[in-house]
Amino acid sequence: MRYLFIDTSNNLIISILENNKEIYCFNSHETNQTSSQVMSILDEAFTKTNLNIRDIDKIFVVNGPGSFTGIRVGVTIAKTIGFCLNIPIIPLSELELLATTNTDTDYNVCLIDARRGYVYGAIYYKNLNPYFNEQHILLSDLEKEYPNNYTIINTTDKIDIVKIIKKHENDEPINPHTLKPNYLKKTEAEENLDAKRS
Amino acid sequence: MKILAIESSCDETSMSIIEDGHIDLGTVILSQIDIHKSYGGVVPEIASRSHAESITIVLEEVLTKANITMDEIDAVAVTYGPGLIGSLLVGLIAAKTIAYIYNKPLIPVHHIAGHIYANNLVKKMEFPLIALVISGGHTELIYMKENYSFKKIGGTLDDAVGECYDKVARVLGLPYPGGPSIDKLAKEGNDTYKLPLPLNDDSYDFSFSGIKSAVINLVNNEKQKGNEIRKEDLACSFQNKVVEILTKKTIKALKEYHVKNLIVAGGVAANSAIRKSLEEECVKNNFNLTIPPILYCTDNAAMIGAAGYYAYQKGIIADLNLNAKANCNLEDLL
Repeated sequence: MRYLFIDTSNNLIISILENNKEIYCFNSHETNQTSSQVMSILDEAFTKTNLNIRDIDKIFVVNGPGSFTGIRVGVTIAKTIGFCLNIPIIPLSELELLATTNTDTDYNVCLIDARRGYVYGAIYYKNLNPYFNEQHILLSDLEKEYPNNYTIINTTDKIDIVKIIKKHENDEPINPHTLKPNYLKKTEAEENLDAKRS
Repeated sequence: MKILAIESSCDETSMSIIEDGHIDLGTVILSQIDIHKSYGGVVPEIASRSHAESITIVLEEVLTKANITMDEIDAVAVTYGPGLIGSLLVGLIAAKTIAYIYNKPLIPVHHIAGHIYANNLVKKMEFPLIALVISGGHTELIYMKENYSFKKIGGTLDDAVGECYDKVARVLGLPYPGGPSIDKLAKEGNDTYKLPLPLNDDSYDFSFSGIKSAVINLVNNEKQKGNEIRKEDLACSFQNKVVEILTKKTIKALKEYHVKNLIVAGGVAANSAIRKSLEEECVKNNFNLTIPPILYCTDNAAMIGAAGYYAYQKGIIADLNLNAKANCNLEDLL
């Protein structure tokens, strides 16, 4: 089985897995150029592995949370490939991806900065089981939920893509038309309108 | 040559299959106007979110409508700018992905070039010509010597004409979008309010922030005096001034550039008073006027497919690193 992994939510990560082994991985924190660069990286992934995009059996795409624009880039690529080539798509959470980082504590507290004191946060047991579900939350409120013996994870430097894919390998795939970004947060305009209406 | 065209620069997700730059084999336009109405204008982040949700649905619909498979497509054309960056990106990423999957040329199209080439879907464009592009984001006079050659001879220094209509409509308490609301109301009124003729000079440039402020001040002053505003009269007075300056500068351009052909493009080209005024002047001066039907005036991908064909003839092809641009000039990729 060959899998394509795409994460453009907070970084630019493109990976190809063959029988659950990574045979290509590009992982960069430099996201200024994501939208212009991403297709070339994808092309390089297939060139270097001597594969064709049609050889892919499943697409795993991180659909959030993170940079709104970043998420849309990855989701749009996945949807388009999935629709055009009829390849099943499985969405993944960026916070759960962070939780795959190997630590020597019982819990991983996964955080993505959401500005103004807020984070996108979740807490997982070591085996990726959720302890505190992902939320857009004030960091000070999330801190009250911290269990004993935890590690804070806020970078994808040491993530384990194989681990998260193994967990979700047999998830029910999503129809490309209904695949949506998982922003975890309404737009400001919607929040203001809700406030005005209530 | 069959081109799959994608347009997502503002609040319409649109795709089209265009053959040889002038035959529309199928166009799908998903308008978000009802979503943005509650906010009184387009909210960029909401627009981007809607594009991302519907992009493959629109793709499937256009293929069905044109009764075509991806293998029969020769190239992909896409609006790369100008526009809302988050919105542009969704269409652009989809276009790059499709071009990559099927190994087809990727043609970058400037949104304004698209609006101009909407006319080619009605009648083969004849050159040289002057194009008046009027929309919610643009007010420009373009001189075209031949196919896919653009020279901007004038443009707005501040607000676009459609933007000005939206703002004036808001002051008058009329619904968004302001253009159709004002156009409709103006027909019931008379030109009784004194407003300035905006940027009435020898240039081909426009300025609409002054007349917008004049309307706002007039409304405030009348309110302070306890006078009621005759909305239909103010709509008529405002529209007359806008139409007068657009007509004046456009006709002047045709005369000074010794051009016989005028095309009008963009969403505001749907405005009945502007159409009427330009039609009259063109008859008087023996100019040929083309204005596309309303479907092709507002944002749509058919026009991008038409422009894309001629861009391709000129060798304008992008690689996979093509990026979206919020601001860019018509002349940039020539």
